[in-house]
Amino acid sequence: MKDFNFNGDKDLAKDFLTNFADAHGEPKYLNILQEVANRKNRAVQIDLEDLFNYKDLDEEFLRRVTENTRRYLGIFADAIDELVPQPTEAFPDDDHDILMTQRTEEGTENADGSDPHQRMPPDIKRFYEVYIKASAKERPFTLREVKASNIGQLVRISGIITRCSDVKPLMQVAVYTCEECGFEIYQEVTARVFMPLFECPSNRCKINKTKGNLILQLRASKFLKFQEAKIQELAEHVPKGHIPRTMTIHLRGELTRKVAPGDVVELSGIFLPIPYTGFRAMRAGLVADTYLEAMSVTHFKKKYEEYEFKEEEEEQIARLAEDGDIYNKLARSLAPEIFGHEDVKKALLLLLVGASHRKLKDGMKIRGDIHICLMGDPGVAKSQLLKHIINVAPRGVYTTGKGSSGVGLTAAVQKDPVTNEMVLEGGALVLADMGICAIDEFDKMDESDRTAIHEVMEQQTVSIAKAGITTSLNARTAVLAAANPAWGRYDLRRTPAENINLPPALLSRFDLLWLILDRADMDSDLEMARHIVYVHQNKESPALGFTPLDPSVLRAYISAARRISPYVPRELDEYIASAYSGIRQDEAKSNAPHSYTTVRTLLSILRISTALARLRFSEAVAQSDVDEALRLMQMSKFSLYSEDRQKSGLDAISDIYSILRDEAARMNRLDVSYAHALNWISRKGYSEAQLKECLEEYAALNVWQIHPNTFDIRFIDA
Amino acid sequence: MVGLLFDCVANPLGAVRLTFEKAVSSGSDPVIFNGKDWGVFDIFREFLFNKDGLSQVPILDHASISWLPPNSLVRFRGMVQDMLGNELYVGAFKDGSTWKTNKFMDVASSPMDPSSEMRIWERRVLYCVPVPGQASWVSPPEAAIDRCQSSTSQHGEKRQREDNAAIDHMDSDVLEHETKGSPPSAKKMREDELPCKSSQQQEPPSEETPSLLHMVPDFDENSLPCLVKVYDSPESDLKLNDVFEFIGVFTYNLELTTQKDDSDEFFGDLCDDTVGDVPSIKVPHLHCLVHRKLGVQEFLHCSPIIEPVPNIIRGIREALLGHLMSVLGNDGVAAHCMLLHLLSKVHTRVDTVAVGRLSLNLTGFTRESISVFGNQLNLVIQSLLPLTRYLPLTLEYLNASSLAPRKDYRTNRLVTGVLQLAEGTHVTIDETQLKVGTLNSTGVENVRLLKNLMEWQKVEYDFEYYKVEMMADAQLLILSEGKSNILPADLVLPFHPSTVGSFESRDAEALQAWRWYLSNVKSLPHSIEPEIQKTVENDLVEARQADRNLGTHDFSRLLTMARLMSVSFGETCLSLEHWQMVKELERLRLERLK
Repeated sequence: MKDFNFNGDKDLAKDFLTNFADAHGEPKYLNILQEVANRKNRAVQIDLEDLFNYKDLDEEFLRRVTENTRRYLGIFADAIDELVPQPTEAFPDDDHDILMTQRTEEGTENADGSDPHQRMPPDIKRFYEVYIKASAKERPFTLREVKASNIGQLVRISGIITRCSDVKPLMQVAVYTCEECGFEIYQEVTARVFMPLFECPSNRCKINKTKGNLILQLRASKFLKFQEAKIQELAEHVPKGHIPRTMTIHLRGELTRKVAPGDVVELSGIFLPIPYTGFRAMRAGLVADTYLEAMSVTHFKKKYEEYEFKEEEEEQIARLAEDGDIYNKLARSLAPEIFGHEDVKKALLLLLVGASHRKLKDGMKIRGDIHICLMGDPGVAKSQLLKHIINVAPRGVYTTGKGSSGVGLTAAVQKDPVTNEMVLEGGALVLADMGICAIDEFDKMDESDRTAIHEVMEQQTVSIAKAGITTSLNARTAVLAAANPAWGRYDLRRTPAENINLPPALLSRFDLLWLILDRADMDSDLEMARHIVYVHQNKESPALGFTPLDPSVLRAYISAARRISPYVPRELDEYIASAYSGIRQDEAKSNAPHSYTTVRTLLSILRISTALARLRFSEAVAQSDVDEALRLMQMSKFSLYSEDRQKSGLDAISDIYSILRDEAARMNRLDVSYAHALNWISRKGYSEAQLKECLEEYAALNVWQIHPNTFDIRFIDA
Repeated sequence: MVGLLFDCVANPLGAVRLTFEKAVSSGSDPVIFNGKDWGVFDIFREFLFNKDGLSQVPILDHASISWLPPNSLVRFRGMVQDMLGNELYVGAFKDGSTWKTNKFMDVASSPMDPSSEMRIWERRVLYCVPVPGQASWVSPPEAAIDRCQSSTSQHGEKRQREDNAAIDHMDSDVLEHETKGSPPSAKKMREDELPCKSSQQQEPPSEETPSLLHMVPDFDENSLPCLVKVYDSPESDLKLNDVFEFIGVFTYNLELTTQKDDSDEFFGDLCDDTVGDVPSIKVPHLHCLVHRKLGVQEFLHCSPIIEPVPNIIRGIREALLGHLMSVLGNDGVAAHCMLLHLLSKVHTRVDTVAVGRLSLNLTGFTRESISVFGNQLNLVIQSLLPLTRYLPLTLEYLNASSLAPRKDYRTNRLVTGVLQLAEGTHVTIDETQLKVGTLNSTGVENVRLLKNLMEWQKVEYDFEYYKVEMMADAQLLILSEGKSNILPADLVLPFHPSTVGSFESRDAEALQAWRWYLSNVKSLPHSIEPEIQKTVENDLVEARQADRNLGTHDFSRLLTMARLMSVSFGETCLSLEHWQMVKELERLRLERLK
């Protein structure tokens, strides 16, 4: 084991540092060294990935560096010592340099070389620090996976910082002067504590037997910034029924002050045992404390835009994208344990995907986030849906309307207890910037609190003018609200407006308002009873009939989709415009409108269509996207319309007939293609089966003729 | 057989050493087998379970700790309260040219040369405490004998205690929390308890005893914590809040305690932590050789062998029901509900729903009646179930105490809370003492925790930066004036006593039988035949057609009740008769609610 050729490895290191060229052909490390020589940079970070990609890679060398990193840190430093070029820029000398010049001058006269304490340790001359960064390719370890066998190795871990000490100086080289002989004596410090020297060990003092008194020279000694921190496992890495583990981290030099408690970070570092000294070494007996000597610190970003794909994920996404049924598949994988509600889940999927933000030339911003309000009877799993969405979203905040005042939602000005300064503290909506904010019990919120949301929903900012602070914070968040109807349950005898009981100003801001009613229905009741009996009998949920996608896959797919910003092709303009005017006219005709159709509705249609195009990974919105968007808007109030029809005495079949007749009359045509007919009726929330039934029934009445193969319709002009 | 060469109880380390030497001499290299077991576990398992050695192993508790010789085999029953992570230790080292092992030891068996070749292995460190809420009748008889022996007091102990108190500040934090939350009865018991003493004669002659003699700690009766070091078992084996019996090597090296760390002052604020990782030094250590999980049944140490014949079970059921009736002032419906409630247990979790729980809310208590019935009920429950907790819910209590365990990053320990409970603990929450007032943020958080425990059987442990949900299985009984809105129970029943309850203490034999019944019948299997299933489904649909407010929750509750009802008769299959009984019970209950 001892026959490692460290000198040979130093040459390897030198070779790597001089000859490594990055993707642009630049000598990356020589450039860094030049910066170091010019005192612009204090850290030399050696990326193991570079070493891995190095053309003359010696795999054995790479392995040795990963497994005995502490040692190779020194070897690289030695190599750098020999490579550091002359500074190309002038810089003012500081104390340190003056001391160094003096030392080199003196060094020549009394360099007997034999005395280790008198030889200048290389550390004191260095004005840079060397770090070796682990390759970012593999998945980082959880704290639990770092085992005894990893001691001395370079490991990469992820976790949350729980405690940090102050930054303190740590002595690296202690310098003494001797009262008798006047020599400078150096002592290298490797541990946290050291035994100071009292007697001069120099040859002259020894020969003269003078026992020269040593005086510690603080200015001449070399100190390093040092910080200690604790890292804890992330909640998702802790197995069920276990407690998160913690680990001590030592941060030195340039790595100090990089972390604060609460930060989620990825660290690479060397896993080392703490060398015990003095008393502790004796009594600690067998047990060794360990710590991680940090080599690099990376903060985690929890945004879609910064999501980094792993290779297998990319493959999986590509495979999923080719699958034609991806829209349904993804939607079903949301909250798979909640039975049914497929259209609601589709809407929620679109909320996760969102559309792209648009900034017009005149500075106007159009939001891309889709806001959804779920309104429904108690016990239809609204809250569960909300919580599930928050779990899937990389950044989500869940709050209840009752539990948060307007201040808690937007932002508050608070007095810092320590400094007595006014500080701005973001509320739920600000915290959910670039994410999703789910607000449960939306209806139980105070009116005054609710108005705070108006600004967020359209302008996507939070403005504050309090205690001398006037500012606006970004709150680019998609709002997902859940509410109960005005009287707890939906009262069919009252108008929808009375039931919904939210001001139109707020309602119009929601792209989709989904009504989920719990109807007295023998079949669904039986379904429910069966489900529960099954659960009790078999101690598991009934099989779903499909395997839901993993939330992590879902997240990856959505973040891939969010990178695309599709445009609306010109030929769809007319189509969308006519659909919009159609809705407006329907509303004007009806005496108890179910919705407030405004220009915002038009934007909603565009947003939802764009989100659908994103899901298909398509750069352009297709007509099918617009149709699906219109269908969703229709379906959201479906439970209401079916009630209306019962009142007006129209059954589904005759309604379909009237839709088709009206449309044909509007277009002034007698021929209607089957595809068109299907589009129209599905927008109103009918199924294909119902259309077929209608076609057959009215064909029998000789109202129209049906093409036997294509099912195209031709009205018989009376 | 190797078993003859050494005494497993008195000198377990001898067995470890011998087997190690044997393994090394037979060619295995410690460098290669990397701390994996070399046959020690088998020997001890053989000794304990096949040769009936278990009964010879003394139990480690506050009384026996004073005379147990170090490095002997002991057993300890406790709940895993905290997990202190992995500990790296020098597992094997070369003494000259022979390998020696330090496995199952705190200090090296022979002086180690720091320069010699050594192997670092790891072990897991668990902080265990006696099961919270354990009834007094559970403690095994041996402990009682020891307590009589140690009644002579000794001088100089007091000083010792002060020393310990100073050293022990970390543990006392934990203890304080426990005392606050524990029922008044338990507190009283503790006060009566004489602190344990040691006497010279009892000490077995051993070289290491002198140091021990000076250091007898005065741990609280209910809380002798123990630091268990586990070797080579998969991580998933031991979970937080699980109750185990650990059998292993006992070490209690107090010399380590006296030298409080002071070399590290330079690093002010964080140096506490490095010590905090190993708080071990203040409590006895147990190097675990064998561990086994304990179910509720195993708390009944001398359980009578009762044949699970339907007739006998039926008999016990009737007697127990009669007992509950008399306690509940002849309220038959309440007694039935109570019986079902006492038998409930979380069988499984489907998605988020904990199937099998049945929390009970008895309403209609007033300040007066609670003192009559509540206390009696409490006593009865304590005498029937091994693990019980009583929570008087007052505003001050809610606002001041922290119910959930939380991580203290200063000491790097999990500070226990009232809701850190072992599986199957019964919790009585007395809401009658709640007055009108304001809850502060702690109070709101506590109420939310209780509600979550009620609805999902989960407790969120506070790790400051995030919360970790731990599964719980607690039977919750709420006593309140009106229907408790803070704590929505599964079963709400207005309590209508007709006579003042009479609490006669039952003879021990009947009590034994009831305890056996309650803990064993619970885990009977259960199934529903297709015909019954049809009936049940139709009944449920019918009920929902009649009352739209019935939801999945109510369906689930009815099925749970059906299960418990049939199980209470010792049957494993739901019969029509029992389903009818459940429906009848539900009808009577709803009538009262009107």
